[in-house]
Parts: sequence; structure tokens; C-alpha cells
Amino acid sequence: MVNERVNHKWGMVVDIDRCTGCQACVVACQAENNIPLNTEAIFRQRRAIEWIHVERYWEGEFPDVKARFIPILCQHCENAPCEPVCPVYATYHNNQGMNVQVYNRCVGTRYCANNCSYQVRFFNYWEPVWPETLKNQLNPDVTVRSRGIMEKCSFDIQRLRKAEHVIEGQRGERITDENLREGNFLPACVQACPTTTLVFGDFNDPESQVSQMKEEHFVEGGRGYKLLEDLGTEPNVIYLKKVDIHAKTGVETHA
Amino acid sequence: MHEPHHPVQASYLRMTAQEITQDVIQRHESPGRQFWMVTSVLAGLLGLGIIGFIILLSKGFEDRNAWGYYATTFAYIFTAAQSAVLISVALRMVKAHWRRPIARISELFAAVGLFTFLLLIPLLWVLPVTTGRRSIWFEWPGHSPHLWDTLALGLLVVCGLALLYFASIPDMAAVRDHATGARQNRYRRMALGWQGSLHQWKKLQVGISLLGGFYFILLIVVHMLISVDFAMSLVPGWKDAIFPAFHAITGFQSAVALTIVTMSILRWKTSLRRYIEADQFWGLSKLLLALSLLWFYFWWSGFFTYWYGRQPAEQSILKFLMFETYKVPFILAFLLCFVTPFVILMWNFVRKTIWGPTLAASIVLVGTFFNAIRFYVPAYSIEDSSLHFLETLPPANTPGGVDILIIIGGIAGAVLVYMLASRVFPIVSTWELKEGLLLQRVRKLMKIQIKVLAKPE
Amino acid sequence: MQERVRLSDAQINRDLLRSIFETPKWYWFLVAFLGLVVLAGFTAAGYMFNQGLGVTGLNRPVMWGFFITNFVFWIGISHAGVMLSAILRLVQAEWRRPATRAAEVLTVFSLMTAMMMPLIHAGRPWRVMYWVFPYDFARGVYPNVRSALVWDPAAVFTYLTSSILFVFIALVPDIAVLRDRTTGWRHVMYSVLSLGWRGSVRQWKLQLIAGILLSAIILPIFVSVHSIVSWDFGTAMSVEGWHSTVFAPYFVIGAVHSGVSAVVTVMIALRWVFKWENYIRMEHLDALAKLLIVVATGWFYFFILEFIFGLYSLEGPEVALREMQVFQMPWTALFITFLLCAYFIPVPMWLIPKVRRSIPLMIFTTILVNIGMWLERFIIIVPGLARKQVFTFTWGGYTPSAVEIVIVIATFALVSMLVLLFAKVFPLIPIGDAKEGMILYDEIKIGKVMVPAVMREE
Repeated sequence: MVNERVNHKWGMVVDIDRCTGCQACVVACQAENNIPLNTEAIFRQRRAIEWIHVERYWEGEFPDVKARFIPILCQHCENAPCEPVCPVYATYHNNQGMNVQVYNRCVGTRYCANNCSYQVRFFNYWEPVWPETLKNQLNPDVTVRSRGIMEKCSFDIQRLRKAEHVIEGQRGERITDENLREGNFLPACVQACPTTTLVFGDFNDPESQVSQMKEEHFVEGGRGYKLLEDLGTEPNVIYLKKVDIHAKTGVETHA
Repeated sequence: MHEPHHPVQASYLRMTAQEITQDVIQRHESPGRQFWMVTSVLAGLLGLGIIGFIILLSKGFEDRNAWGYYATTFAYIFTAAQSAVLISVALRMVKAHWRRPIARISELFAAVGLFTFLLLIPLLWVLPVTTGRRSIWFEWPGHSPHLWDTLALGLLVVCGLALLYFASIPDMAAVRDHATGARQNRYRRMALGWQGSLHQWKKLQVGISLLGGFYFILLIVVHMLISVDFAMSLVPGWKDAIFPAFHAITGFQSAVALTIVTMSILRWKTSLRRYIEADQFWGLSKLLLALSLLWFYFWWSGFFTYWYGRQPAEQSILKFLMFETYKVPFILAFLLCFVTPFVILMWNFVRKTIWGPTLAASIVLVGTFFNAIRFYVPAYSIEDSSLHFLETLPPANTPGGVDILIIIGGIAGAVLVYMLASRVFPIVSTWELKEGLLLQRVRKLMKIQIKVLAKPE
Repeated sequence: MQERVRLSDAQINRDLLRSIFETPKWYWFLVAFLGLVVLAGFTAAGYMFNQGLGVTGLNRPVMWGFFITNFVFWIGISHAGVMLSAILRLVQAEWRRPATRAAEVLTVFSLMTAMMMPLIHAGRPWRVMYWVFPYDFARGVYPNVRSALVWDPAAVFTYLTSSILFVFIALVPDIAVLRDRTTGWRHVMYSVLSLGWRGSVRQWKLQLIAGILLSAIILPIFVSVHSIVSWDFGTAMSVEGWHSTVFAPYFVIGAVHSGVSAVVTVMIALRWVFKWENYIRMEHLDALAKLLIVVATGWFYFFILEFIFGLYSLEGPEVALREMQVFQMPWTALFITFLLCAYFIPVPMWLIPKVRRSIPLMIFTTILVNIGMWLERFIIIVPGLARKQVFTFTWGGYTPSAVEIVIVIATFALVSMLVLLFAKVFPLIPIGDAKEGMILYDEIKIGKVMVPAVMREE
């Protein structure tokens, strides 16, 4: 049976207004993707690997300062600065709008990490080790990366491939938000997020939640924005601004 | 490269010091009828330019777009004439003996500085304050460029004139010794009691090298100020660290071209053939070739960094200055400043002729004009310089009748000033030639004639 | 004021071949010592391969550190060779004669050393062939020509090949001299290397033409190499401090600055070690110092451009970057040292004629320049990465580890050792050139004094 492939463009909407900074996404990602343990020593060396990480930042001037959380992950830029600089094509753009990393090709020049504006590429400075007790927890669908190579968020491509295989290939249906969720094919971070801050879906599917959110919020005065939009990287991860309940008008927030 | 029977150039080496002085001074005294004909034509053209300028002035300073071609004319004359002085400074610094006959030709361009300075003054009213936009003055008061650029250019002009005057003192003394009556009196006052004593020569040497070094540094600074304040900072999003250096390179390039063209006009119209020979053309054409290559290199460094980065702000600058709005002047500048001179001058046999360098130099002079257009006209066509970056590109500004009048008048004015200055200072520096007589000998080595150069230091 | 002595051809041969035929005891001690340092470097590198790059001080924002700084530094040193030989050969500067060979040899060895740096700094150095060689191996993937990192090896290897050719072409007549003076296996080696040189007019002519052609060809390569190295940084648009259009000429002229200084250091060392006072004379140091004043000032101009336009738009990361470079310890100290060493101490000193003709002061100033220029690269590379974009939570710092420091020191020992070993096998001052200089030397009588002069076909 020849199945006409649907061209997906995977993407994510991050609604900052809902984020509580609980770090569930970080843990889920860690578990799903066989990310080495970030011990205290490794944190101190500034070499922690967190494909998604929740950062806290301050908004406003003293005394009117507010703490904000923002989950940051690979933005899967359409116009990714990391891609052209890799000498061995270890990172490239696939036809589903994703920026993917081929571990086997990577020789570890780390140029991509330097040229990533969002700093979401991580280098394996050490050989990953897990305690004996955690070895059975490793995900068999995901490669364990050796030392000396780059890695980064993959939108849990192993799940998406399975989704294509099961939903499109075996059942012959179209992938929708519903069957992604039902089949546990959503990225682990999205699944784990208790406040639905992270919404995942296909931007090419006008029915999908992400497309609709984009349409709703990317209007004049809307909440939608992209990180470092000036750089023209055109990320596939879009953010929705925090709603400031104390600000009645736009003027006050700037005061 | 090394032909066995390469003729030894510098035929003036076969003359005596007295003959050189006689020859040059005589020429200086009687320029001939053609000279005055040309000057009156130039004066007429300058008059047309002044008419154009008055029309422009009557429209006021508010419409910056109207002043684009005026700024271009100013920048073009500044880059070419002010840098031309540097040719003699630099060649003197590296002790190139072949510079001797042409040192004054390039130094005389310092006189054009007066005209350049006049051209700057109206622009000061056109230039907006720096408050609220990017500039190299950062947090300084908004009128900083107006003040400092004027001062810097003024200082440069004064320094150039001082250099020209200083380097001509021995020659003016020579004119004094050969003239009679009022002319002798005038040159006596100008020669400042030059007797040619050892002490005086030492002072002269020190003065020339100090003024030369100072002029060099000042010129680079003024290039930076003018290129940034009068062009780059007016275009939002244009942040190009190499631009001042590129501007200076185009200056040197047009300076060499200008000197070559002046040399061949002198060769063609006056009988200075004995001094201005293939040697000089060969030397300068090598420089012109090197500068044409540098033109490409500097342009490429700027272009490439922008193009590879793919940032919207930088892409819009590329589109605006090179690929869409001002495509035509860019392509012309690229062809005339780099491609054509490179193709012509890459051949050594062409470089050793007179016509080759002259042709290439004339092309470069036209090219650098388009080069000035592609920076200054766009800069003045932007209404709001305080934007973050150029989101919509303003339409191209094509020259109108007034603009053409101003361009013609401006260039004619500059040439006129140069020609009049050549009436005051002899156009060939006799003392440098005579110094050359001392330091160079033609000798025989095996079967060939060879030049022997003294290295007194 | 030239201290030139008329020397016979035999005397020249004897003097310049001294390094080859006489081996003082200290020579082997020195080589052994340098060898030990190099060995320490290799051990450190081996340890690093074994343990992973975790043993360096690199971290998440600062992915490139000491190794890349050292890479850029050695590439810079390598620029002196061509600058001195090719340009000065083309403009027929008389004082180039004793400096060319040392400069070219320095080029070759520093290039080799430089290229080792990015290779060992790769995460999986055993796989760098996939990156360095334009071949698809078994994977069906060619290297990515859009990446500046692929242009690097292409440019460096082209430069290396042409510099080796350049050295060799100039060396052939000297090897022939050695062939005629050796016996046994050395004779065989020199015979093979001298390519049947007999010193006929035709051979000299060919050698001359080859030298001039190579000079002309090597010049664009020389400019391209460091431009390409600078584009490793300049094209990285995500790093505010690197994305500057001025980088290419800035790096090239900085390279010439440090390279020519290094050549002066090496020349003085040679003069002292092999007692070549008659060949490397004060007038040569004087001329080189004058050249250095011009180069240093040109470099300083580009530095100012880089700095001013680094701040030009006054955006957050730009200001933060410059603040880190200038106002945060230890960068403040490094920044001040860098400026003093690279410009503000040496250049005013070179303006004094006595300094230009003083051996200890010249060696002092030229070593200062190279300290300064090493720091310059470090100050560009690391703070640039540490203050990349507006996200303050991604900002960081960098402290080199012992492994990195040992490897960097070892590269200095490696280059010195290779130059010393080279001097054992080939003359470091071109013999033919020295003799030609003697022939073209002349004197002119001006007034009552005899002034030294050179013959030239201008």
C-alpha cells in the first residue's frame, strides 16, 4: 500500500503565562532521552546537559521586579545558524521543519554550539555514566551518546517516527493532536507538563492546536513572539507572553 | 620580470642640477595660452555649479534627499584630492627614488582642500543631530559630528597646505633667484629666506617628515569621521566596522588614479616628458593594482560577513546598497574600481606603458565616483535615521538637472583650484630631482646598465 | 651607518654552514630539553584523548578556549614568512636577505603546529579526517563546504604546500653547496634533494623565476588563510562580539604584526647562537623595527575600528561584552597587558633609533608583542562567547585547565625544536642570497664621503 506522505512541520507553542517553573519537563526529557546525570560537580563545571531547561529571569526595574520562568529548548529554527557551520553535516534541517543532529557524523568541533543564539546545544565533555540501578531505566529507542559529540532537543523524534509508522503507516489515518496524545506520541516534556504550558503539534495542519494558537496570538498587540526575532532565525518554537494581571494598561508596565 | 636589457629610466640623471632648475623654472613662468583657455572653461563650469547650488539652497535644508548628490560630490572630491597628497608622503617615507619627479604633482592636491572645506559647510546644516540614532559619538551632544568633523577636516586642510608650502620652499627660492621685479619680491617673501644651508635642509627634512606623518594619521581619522557621520550613521541598521577602512582604501585608490591621470595630462600637454616617464607610471600602476585588489578584499570582507549571517537587518542593508535599490551604482563601481583595472593592470607589459596605467586610472576615477554615489546618495535618501533597522527600503534617488550641474561644477572647481595652485608652486619639485642626482648613479655591471642607489642611513 | 664587511665566498660558506658542521654540546641539551616539553605536551594530549574534553576548562557558553586561541596565534606567526619573503622579494628590499629563510621555515613549522590545535580540540579527534579531507569515505557525505571550518584546512594545507615549495626552491642552491661538502649518507641525501643543481645560468634563471612566481602566487594565499581563519569568527552571527566585518583585515595585519616580531626574535637568537654577526646586522633589525612600527600602527587602527564598532549600536550584549573585557577582573588585567604589550610599550620604544639597534631591547619588545598578540586572540575569542546574546542566564566564564596550559606551552617548544633541528640540516641564512647581496653592494661618493649603495634594476 503506497501511502502518500503528509508533510509535517512540527513545532511548539510555549505559553509563559502558564509556566510555574516546576521542572517536570526537564525531568521527563532527562528520562526519555538517556541524558547523562547532571551531578553537582557537572553543574559547577557549567557542563550540564538539559535539552529543555527552565530559566528564571527578572522583569522590570526595582522595586517593581517580577520573577519569570521561561522553558528554553532547541528552537528548531527554519534558518538555523548552527546548520551551515557544521563541517561534517552532523546537523541539518529535515523536511519536517526540524533541526536534527546525526550523532555518528559529529566530530565535536563545537562550532554549532558557538553559533547557536539560544545556547541550546550541549556537548558531551565526559563519557556518560549511569549507576547500576539506573541502567534498566535507559530508553532503548534512543542512542546513548558517547563523549565528544553534540546533542540537543530532538522533539523526541523517536516518538514521532513511531507515530508516523503506527498512525499513518499501519492505520492509514492522518496524524492529529488527538491521536498523537492518545498514542503517547507527544514529546515527553509536553506530556509531563502539568499546566499545559507546552503545546506540540503540526504547523502544517490548520486544525492543530498550535496552528490555531499561532493564528490567535500572532496578531497586532497579541501575546505571540519568537525568541531573538531580530536575528531572523525563524524558530519553530513560539512563545506567548505572560499576562500581567497588575497592569491595567500598556502604559503602566513600562513605568 | 628581469629583462637583461631593461633600459635605465630617469633620464634626468643625465642632466646637471642647473639644467633641471632652468628647465622647470622656465616652464613655471610661462604656462602658455592653452592653460588660460582651460582655466576659463573650468571657471565657466564652476559658475554653472554655483547656479545649481543656489537652486538647491533655495529649497532649504529640510529635504535631505535633495542633498544626496551634493554630498556625493563633496565626498568624491575629498576622497580623491585629500588622499592624493598621501602619495608623495608615503613614497617619500619608503624612500622610493622614482617618486622624485611626481612628488609635487600629488602634493599640489592639498590646495584643493580649501575647496573641499567650502563644500563641507552647507552640509553641516543638512546633517541631522546624532540624538536618538546610532553614531560613533555615543552619548556625546547631538552636534558633535558637526563640530569635530569640521575641525578635523579643517586641520587636515591646513596640515596639507603646510606640507605643500614647506616642501616647496627650496623651489620657491629657486624661482626667486631666476625671476625679476614684483615676481621676485613675491617669491622672496614666500621663500622665507631660504639659503640652502645645512641647518635649513635639516629643518626642512624634519618638517616634511613630521607634517607627512601627521597628515597620514589625520587623513585616516577624517576618513573615519566623514564616512561614518556623513554616510553610515544615517542608514539605520548599517553597522559595518570595515567601512571607514574601505572608504580610506577607495580614497587611496582614487588618489593614485588621480595622480596617474594628472601625470599623463602633463606629459601630453606640456613638455615634462623628460621627468615623467614610464618608470613613474610603472610604480604607480603597481600601487593601483594592489589597491584595486584591496578594494575587492575590503568590500568582500564586509559583504561576506553580512551575507553569511542572514540577519534581516543586514540583509536589508545589502539589498538597499547593493542588490536592489542602488544596484546600478554598485555594479558600476564593482566593474570600474575592481574588475577592469585588475584585468588591465595584471599584465606587466601593460604596466610599463603610458597608455595602460592612464586608461586604468581614468576608469578608476569614474568608478570611485559611482562608489561615492552608492554610499552617500542612499544615506541621504532615508528620512528617519533613528529606526532600528530598514524595514522598508526607500526608493532610489536618481540625479536631476540640478544634481548634474553641481557634480560638474564641483569637479570643475576642484580642477580649477589645482591649476591655479600650480601657478604658485612649480609642478615639478626641482630639489627632489637634484637630491636624486646625488643619490643615484648609472653604472655598468657585466654587460648591462644598472642603477646604483645610495643608502645614506 | 651600515656595518657591512666585505666577505669572500669561502668565508660566507664557512660561516653559514657552521650550524650544520659544528655541533656544540649545548645544542643537544637544548634539543633534549625542548623535546621533554614536547613530550609533556603529547602526554597531556594523550590524557585528554583518553579522558575526554572534560579535562579542559571549556564549558557551555565557552566552547572554544586556549586551543583555538593558540591555533589563531600560530597561524598568525606563520604569516611572517610570506610577508617578509614574498613581499620584500617583490619590492626588492635589500635588507630582506638574511631574514627570508628563517621566516619561511618559521611559517612551515608554525603552520603544522597551528593545524594540530583544532584537530586535537575536536571532540572525537580520531574522526577528524571526515572534516579535514574533501572525500566522502564510506559514508557518502562530503564535508560541508558552507562551513568556515572546511575552508580552514583547505586554506592552511594550500598555504603549507606552497610554503614548503617556497622554502625548497630557495634551498636548492644551498643544498648543492652542502652536497659538495659532505660524504656518506648525508652526501646521498643532499644529492637527491639538490635535484642536480650545477649552478648554470639557466638553472639560476629558472630558480629566480620560480621564486618570483611563487611569491606572487603565495601572496593571495597568505591573505586568504588568515581571512578564512577570521571568518570562523566573523561569520558566526550569533556571537555579537565576533560578528564584525573588520575581522579579515584585522586578523591579517595582526598576524603580520606578531609574525614579523617573531621573526626578529628568531633572527636575534640565531645571530647569538651561530655567531652570525656579519650577516644579521643592526641595519636589518633597524629596518624590521621600522616596518613593525607601520604594521603595528595599522593593526592598532583596525583594533580601534573593531572596538568602536563593537559598541556602535549600544545593544545589551555589546555593552556587556566590552564591560567584561575592560572592567571585569581578570579580563581587565589581561586587557591592559595586551594593549601595553602589543602596542603601547614596543611602538614608542621603536621610535627611538637606539632601541632599534639594540639587541636586548629588540628581543624584549618583540617577545612583548607576541605576548600581547596571544592575549588579543584570547580576549576576542573567550569574552565573545561568554557574552553571546541577550540571555543573561547563558553568560559564563572560562578558566583554562592544566592540560590546556601544558599543551599550549608544548607548542612553543615544538616550533623551537623543529627550527633548531632544521638548522642542523639546512643553512638558515640563504647562502646564495648572501653572496648576491655582496655582488650588488656598491658605494657612491657624495661630496667627501663614501655612502653605501645597492645596485638595482628598478
